[in-house]
Amino acid sequence: MIQLEDIHKSFDQNEVLKGISAVFETGKTNLIIGQSGSGKTVLLKCIIGLLEPDSGDILYDNRRFAEMGQKERTNLRSELGMLFQGSALFDSMTVAENVLFPLRMFSELNDEDKVKRARYCLDRVGLKDVYSLFPSEISGGMQKRAAIARAISLNPKYLFCDEPNSGLDPLTSIKIDELIMDITEEYKMTTIINTHDMNSVVTMGEKIIFIYQGNKEWEGSKEELFHAKNEKLNEFVFASKFFQKNTENAFKE
Amino acid sequence: MNLLQHVGRYSILMYQTFSVPQKWKLFFKQTVKEIEKLGANSLPITFIISLFMGAVMTMQTQMNIENPLLPSYTVGLVTRDTLLLEFCSSILCLILAGKVGSNIASEIGTMRISEQIDAMDIMGVNSANYIILPKIAGFVLFIPLLVIWSMFCGLIGGYFISLTTDLITPATYIYGIQYWFIPWYVYYSLIKSVIFAFVIASVSSYYGYYAYGGALDVGKASTNAVVNSSILILMLNVILTKILLS
Repeated sequence: MIQLEDIHKSFDQNEVLKGISAVFETGKTNLIIGQSGSGKTVLLKCIIGLLEPDSGDILYDNRRFAEMGQKERTNLRSELGMLFQGSALFDSMTVAENVLFPLRMFSELNDEDKVKRARYCLDRVGLKDVYSLFPSEISGGMQKRAAIARAISLNPKYLFCDEPNSGLDPLTSIKIDELIMDITEEYKMTTIINTHDMNSVVTMGEKIIFIYQGNKEWEGSKEELFHAKNEKLNEFVFASKFFQKNTENAFKE
Repeated sequence: MNLLQHVGRYSILMYQTFSVPQKWKLFFKQTVKEIEKLGANSLPITFIISLFMGAVMTMQTQMNIENPLLPSYTVGLVTRDTLLLEFCSSILCLILAGKVGSNIASEIGTMRISEQIDAMDIMGVNSANYIILPKIAGFVLFIPLLVIWSMFCGLIGGYFISLTTDLITPATYIYGIQYWFIPWYVYYSLIKSVIFAFVIASVSSYYGYYAYGGALDVGKASTNAVVNSSILILMLNVILTKILLS
């Protein structure tokens, strides 16, 4: 479980996060949704430690991040898996080497077991026969899968995904969403996904937080999303008329 | 951003870079890769530049010596000392600042904007140490070889002129390049080049590491890396010459 307590973050005079508190539960896919520029990515970067909040605290299973020493923070990082928007695979390494990288850096396994583990992770995300290819030689969807395989290679307790479907076709997006959900359940992870893709919200939104101009505007599940009385949320969710009609009908059924 | 802020950020980056590698095996592997990429791959360009510069120096020295009192072997001597004192360290490093510096800055800059560095940081990897230290180590270790290779190629270039033109005989040229040889000039050149190599690798890494934005910004970072490395090399050249030759 990850808890946020009154997170504030500003850049110069621009206050991007204005006191966000939330709880992200273990074994669930937790979504942060909102328009572009609402502060989602900044919030996610604060949670994973790439940005330091100006005030407020983050608790990882009741361990306060602000009170952790350097060593504890480094240890915590080995419990984090991250799927970046652009996959962020190391382009000088093959797909297999990318998955092996965290194992080589942090695992105590012998070389043979590290390779076995990397192959297992790649097989788990449905990537076979691409071990020796470079990221530039595989499709965007495969890159996302490889990035997921890298993220889970050290059995992380927390998985973070920054817009996992950006740049993917709808069919591949659904497969990636399903994969993230399956892995979350299988590894009993706390997964936080940053997205504005409504298809993903409908598929994965076990817990949803809606951010609007740096504030947490709404919180609930995907079932509650379409009956919410929040004007700003409705404006965001039903921006697409096609989506509005179809999803409403689907939930009525 | 003012100069002091740059110096501060550069110092912090170097502090992060010069920490103990998390995995020595990976560090050595990366260093060997960098030796190949930054060092060994610079051998051909060093060969071409040094050969032609040695040839041109020999011709120009001969053509500009009008005093009949100066012996003809002066051509070889001047070519040798010019190569040893300036060309093979300072000028070669200025040229390599363009090749190696832009390579380092664009590679690290691309890693930064494509979030590869963020990915390492999140994993708990000291990204500065993992990426930059092997580059500095590899280039600094290989630069003495490049300098010696450059000296050899430059002298061969001059010899080629003595063989193919009637400006100077090969025997006189050979005598000239051996005459009044001061071994310290070689050491002086090597010391300078090691310091310049550190400047090129570290300054270029700095500009790449703190690049942000898109492809255009990586290009800007690369340009800044080359320009600032070159300026620093020229300034340090004056200081080192004063210290090492006075």
